[in-house]
Amino acid sequence: MHKKLKTTLIFLFICIPSFLLSQEKSESSALNKSIQHNTTSFTTNADFKKAQSYFFNNHWDSTLVLTTKVLSTSAKDEKLIDYCHFFRGISFFEKKLFKKAEDEFLKISKNFQLLPNVKAKLGSIALESYLFEKALSYYKEVEKIPKLHSQTINMEHIKDNIGICYLHLQKYEKAKPYLLESVRYQEEQKDTVLLIGSYGNLATLYYDLYKDNLAIPLFQKAYALAKTTNDFSTLQTTTENMAVVEENRKDYKKALQYRKEYEQWTDSLNDQNKIYATAKAEEKIAVEKEQKRIVKLEAEKEIEAAERDTFLYSAIILFVMLGVSLYFYRAKVKRNKIIHQQKENLDALNTTKDKLFSIVSHDLRSSVNAIKTSNKKLIKTLESEKRSKVNDLLQNNSAIVNNAYTLLDNLLNWALLQTDQTFFRMTNLQLYNTVEHVAYNYTAILADKEISFENTVPKNETIYADKESLKIILRNLIDNAIKFSHSKDQIRIYTKNDATNFCHLIVEDTGIGMDTNTRQELLKDTTLLAKKQHENIIGTGLGMQLCKSMIKKNNGTFSIESELGKGTKMIISLPKKLI
Amino acid sequence: MENINVLVVEDKPEQSTKLVEILKENNFTISGTATSFREAVDIFYAQNIDIAIIDIFLNGRPDGIAFAEFIDAQPNGLKPFIFLTSATSREIFNRAKLTKPYGYIVKPFNELELIYAIENTIEKFYGQEDSFSAEDENTIISDDNLFIKKGKALKKVNVDDIILIEVEEKYCNIITEKEKFVILISLVKILDLLDTTKFYRTHRNFIVNIRKIEEIIPQDNLILLEGNHSATLSGKYKDIINKFRTLK
Repeated sequence: MHKKLKTTLIFLFICIPSFLLSQEKSESSALNKSIQHNTTSFTTNADFKKAQSYFFNNHWDSTLVLTTKVLSTSAKDEKLIDYCHFFRGISFFEKKLFKKAEDEFLKISKNFQLLPNVKAKLGSIALESYLFEKALSYYKEVEKIPKLHSQTINMEHIKDNIGICYLHLQKYEKAKPYLLESVRYQEEQKDTVLLIGSYGNLATLYYDLYKDNLAIPLFQKAYALAKTTNDFSTLQTTTENMAVVEENRKDYKKALQYRKEYEQWTDSLNDQNKIYATAKAEEKIAVEKEQKRIVKLEAEKEIEAAERDTFLYSAIILFVMLGVSLYFYRAKVKRNKIIHQQKENLDALNTTKDKLFSIVSHDLRSSVNAIKTSNKKLIKTLESEKRSKVNDLLQNNSAIVNNAYTLLDNLLNWALLQTDQTFFRMTNLQLYNTVEHVAYNYTAILADKEISFENTVPKNETIYADKESLKIILRNLIDNAIKFSHSKDQIRIYTKNDATNFCHLIVEDTGIGMDTNTRQELLKDTTLLAKKQHENIIGTGLGMQLCKSMIKKNNGTFSIESELGKGTKMIISLPKKLI
Repeated sequence: MENINVLVVEDKPEQSTKLVEILKENNFTISGTATSFREAVDIFYAQNIDIAIIDIFLNGRPDGIAFAEFIDAQPNGLKPFIFLTSATSREIFNRAKLTKPYGYIVKPFNELELIYAIENTIEKFYGQEDSFSAEDENTIISDDNLFIKKGKALKKVNVDDIILIEVEEKYCNIITEKEKFVILISLVKILDLLDTTKFYRTHRNFIVNIRKIEEIIPQDNLILLEGNHSATLSGKYKDIINKFRTLK
């Protein structure tokens, strides 16, 4: 009896998967609607959108591929991840990969909106795996959910499965109400195949409880109903059940008849199964092809993306390199410009220096040469003992040496000024004394050239300047005045004061004067030396250059008033007090 | 009147000869010519010196600056000094400046510049600037001497030798035991600068050296001084009698 039961149960159990699958279709539209409603926020994710549409159209392999992609690329939003796992779980379930399906469902978080559906699916998986206790616990959880929230789940289906679980666990009393309910529901629904399953289940229950009088009519009812369908597996199961029943009733004739019929259905079912298998194989090949195509497309896409990235990076690198080289190029151009300018300045200064050297050397050479010649004459004259002539020659020599000395002195001062080595200290100076001190050196020459000299600067006139540089200025101006004066001419030094804070010191002579050109040339603010005009008179323009620089350093200004043939006024304006 | 005593510190004989020549021409007395720091110190202690002219470089070393520092370090014998230099180099000047010289002369110099520098240095040393160069003055008063510019020459008179100063408008007649001369100085300045323990004013026009007084005759308003000189004693200044212990 016990053995008989076992066989019966196994046959009955076969009904369950098909039963579950057929149920799925009626639920799926409601479920799809619910999913569509809840995932509108993710429609921007193209891959997810595609995965969803494949899911709705039951393309499980495509769904699996696309969800993998979604999960690997943009796994940020929990809800999105949950949906992906959900899709994958359903897909694996549909492909009968229950272990994988279970894994996917278990990854879904507790906050998932379709958690009951998940639980139901987990229950189904457990049921498929003969883990009835586990299935029961999942189904019980689902059963507790209020009707309102479980529109997407067929509760009757759940209850039926609970009944089956109890049945398998041999808890018949608990199974009975569920199975009765299921039969009632299926009668209402008028779904023959399912009704047959329910009848079968209920009959098995009664049979196991040895209520044969209740069980046998139900088996017969199932058998009769099965006859009206073309479902071979149902026919096979019901027929076998009948055979077992008749066998147990010892009606072997009938049992044999049922057995034969069962064999017949088995053959039919096998044929059908073969056809199914072929179709399945074909479908599998097609799916594999599609899968390969997708994989290929993915790979191509990846390569394309990689290529695009490579292009982008190389473009960026090239652009940066271009920018950097442009910057360096510009910096170089700028530097070159500065260098060029400095070179020009240096060239100009060098030219000045060369000129200075040539003039100075020329002048010194002629001075020394003049002394040489003069000395020879002197020796000769001394031999002939012409005393008065010796004196004249010595006077001449002295004048030449004086000029050469002035030149050298200016050269030294100019060099010191250029190299910024002079000691420069501005103090209040008594102008009269300073002029007197400088002029003292020219007493002999003035007397010799019969030039009258007059210093009419007031004794209490003071200015604010550096003493030594003022002396150099005065020396040069007096020197020039003497140089460009004839005998019997006059040189006067005096001051003029106006409203300004400046004292104007004027060195005036009645000498040969100068034209406007020369005057402007002298006043030009340049480091270059003026062209030499008076070949017969020693002069380089260095003295004037020195004067201008020194006056500038003393915060003063310099101007010239002159008329050719009448004389020259050199005007130095220096501050009276510290500015 | 006496000459001013000058110490010349210069290593080059040619230069020192020229210096000495100019100084002697202008009636200065040369206390000595030193060619090294050591010599200079010896002469400084041995001789009577009014002013020193120091070349910065002695035998290639800036020993002149060292000598100036030595003078600066004398507690009682501080004397004015002038630097003599051919180097217009800033570096040397900056070092020399630390000794606070009262003047400097840049070589080559002429007679006028040298004399002016000496005068200017004495003016600065005694804090009486522009006394010689001004039109209306020619005297500097120190604790021991009067430095007087007479024409081109600079002379000094020991204060203790003065018997009587007679003020006449802008002039003052200085009467010593040996001589009598006129100086240009304002009365305010002379009263301000003369040592008041030695000199007393006895009249609007008279200042007398108290140690040279021989007799005071109040009834005649007369003070008799050494060398038969006399000064008037006016009522306003009769307090002078109280300065003496009167025998009755």
